[in-house]
Amino acid sequence: MKSPNISIIAKTAMADGLVPLIVMDNISLGYNSSAVLTDVNLAIYPGNLVGLAGPNGSGKTTLFRTMLGLLAPLSGTLVRNCPLAKFGYVPQSAALDPQFPLSVLEIVEMGAYGRVKSFQIFPVHETKRALEVLEQVGMAHVKAKSFFALSGGQKQRVLIARALMVGPAIMILDEPLSGVDEESRQSITSLLIRLSREECLAVFFSSHDLEMVQRVADKIVRVDRGAVWVEERSGS
Amino acid sequence: MNGFFTIVNPSYLLFPALVGTLIMGFVCPLIGSYLVLRRTIFLGLTLPEIAAAGVSFTFWLQQTGVLPEFAQGERSIGMIGSLLFTFLGMALLGYLEQRGKGMAEGRLAAAYAFAGAVTILFMVFNPAGQVDVLNLLKGEVIALSRGELKLLAVVFGLVAMVMLVFRREFLLISFDRDLAFLLKGRQIIWDILLYLLAGIVIALGVIMAGPLLIFGFLVLPALAARPLVSRMSGFLLLSSLLGLVMAFVGFYSSVRLDLPLGPTDVALGCCLIFLAYGLSRISVRGRAALMLGALIVVSGNACGSARTASPIPEARALNPRPLWLAKVKNSTALPLVLPSSNPLRSLAEMAGKVSADYRSSVMDLLRQDLQTEFEQRGFKVALPEQLDARFTALASDPDSAMRLAREGRLSGAVFVSEIWRWEGETQKFVRALVDFKLIEVDDGTVLWERRVQRAIPTPSATNLGQASADAVRAIVRELFAG
Repeated sequence: MKSPNISIIAKTAMADGLVPLIVMDNISLGYNSSAVLTDVNLAIYPGNLVGLAGPNGSGKTTLFRTMLGLLAPLSGTLVRNCPLAKFGYVPQSAALDPQFPLSVLEIVEMGAYGRVKSFQIFPVHETKRALEVLEQVGMAHVKAKSFFALSGGQKQRVLIARALMVGPAIMILDEPLSGVDEESRQSITSLLIRLSREECLAVFFSSHDLEMVQRVADKIVRVDRGAVWVEERSGS
Repeated sequence: MNGFFTIVNPSYLLFPALVGTLIMGFVCPLIGSYLVLRRTIFLGLTLPEIAAAGVSFTFWLQQTGVLPEFAQGERSIGMIGSLLFTFLGMALLGYLEQRGKGMAEGRLAAAYAFAGAVTILFMVFNPAGQVDVLNLLKGEVIALSRGELKLLAVVFGLVAMVMLVFRREFLLISFDRDLAFLLKGRQIIWDILLYLLAGIVIALGVIMAGPLLIFGFLVLPALAARPLVSRMSGFLLLSSLLGLVMAFVGFYSSVRLDLPLGPTDVALGCCLIFLAYGLSRISVRGRAALMLGALIVVSGNACGSARTASPIPEARALNPRPLWLAKVKNSTALPLVLPSSNPLRSLAEMAGKVSADYRSSVMDLLRQDLQTEFEQRGFKVALPEQLDARFTALASDPDSAMRLAREGRLSGAVFVSEIWRWEGETQKFVRALVDFKLIEVDDGTVLWERRVQRAIPTPSATNLGQASADAVRAIVRELFAG
């Protein structure tokens, strides 16, 4: 097996002048030398809204974890043109342990932990910023509530706020619409579109609902049984 | 009596023990909160047991001569074993966790059982030091010296400071490892630091307070705080505050009621959990009102504890009838014989050439002191054996005392004393539980009664015999002072 070639911040200028935030070139990925997905070729640019569609267990989360550096690719080349700290990751809210007593504001403030030194008291301007991003996702009114007392849709929006708090160049969202009611689905979807169009953020989200992905995304990555297809949407 | 204000007085003999307990009660929950949140409570149970095995093991090594005698004393030796075993245990459990074989709970349960078994086995191998090891593992915080208190304050203070400074890192790595990786890179250092701090707290705490109390302080306040808060900062603060409450109320109850500190604190901690779940079902205002009410009741009780018990009736209440001073009944399982002051006689006794009967006992001392005090106060004291040499010690139970007194043809009143507990574990205090009663022989009426149940400080005693004599004097003084 070919050894993986990973370059962090490779500053590779592409031919068209736009620098992709992440490039996956012929990558195989999986766990303990057993590949889950092979020959993944993908480039994500600022302002892209990319949907990752596929059934449960098809390797969507594995692809995300590889992009985030949590898993090493088995082979191929992975180029990140922004530091990991600029990745706004939104995990599935069910993956977080409800044992932790955390308020909504505390959850969002975590996004700033990379910037705040250990000895430092949490800066006032960071708290202000946390309130701003909460406002941006329409959740400022529940800032003092317990995070785990919120509904599925509210939790997702708070986690998006936490990812925004990082000051991201790219947002990666793992199944942001799963376990969410219809109203929240619509509000989260329009939020993702807004972030991509108005703030020029690259947004890469996964869903097992292909129809929804086709409706929203301007680039679709489909995964199934170890294979990957990338489909550019017209007008993207 | 040991009232609230006596206990919090810095000149009180057990004040270092109180401060030590409070320090442990405040700092342990800071670590324990993370054990609870990370769902590794069993680690908090297993590590103290492993530390106890270390204590037992080092004592055995010393007994076999492999380890030299240390001038610093038992606790230093125990601490070395405790630290060594705790970190070895953590390393082994960490290694097995990395390999991922079997269930985490299974590994911890097996380690707990093994450590418990090893602790007992090394104690059995070391009969000479069995009592010392047992005393250490019981964790007599009450015997904490000022030097040990300083060590405890410095180490636990540093642990608390590190927990405060790196609270964000510990939270992030415990709550969301992926985010921690993205924001701060590989974060194994924070896992190692957290477990290192837990190891230090457990290893030192087991020596100072015993495995049960340390486990209680680690886990119970955090479990009690969890249903009451929805913020992490509030959770850590409340856990530590509840740890302080558990430590103080437990210590106070232990001293007042002469109960062992570890079980008292742990039982109190469990009550706090039930109380917290009850409180979590009512509104914040309701909680505040209840807390205020409880505070008033506790304060009232604390202030009220200064009230004095009634003194022995005056002599004119009995005169001209005699006061029969019965032999003191020993209801402990121990002979309570005082050590000989003559080294030659002691040697002869050890060689089996002299019987131990020549030595006086705690019962003799108590009776002599009582007799002297009664006579000084004008009572007509008579000894039952002067009437009939076969007269035995009388139990404090009024019916049997009255029956025996009547059979012995006594008249007037009989003063009975019964010792239920008399333990001088160190030369700093004697734990006593003694009943005293003044009973009317004719109708069995109890004219006066008193139970003395507490740890009696004996600071100036240089040996256990002297400590017993000082404790007897203190008790008799207390009886007549009221």
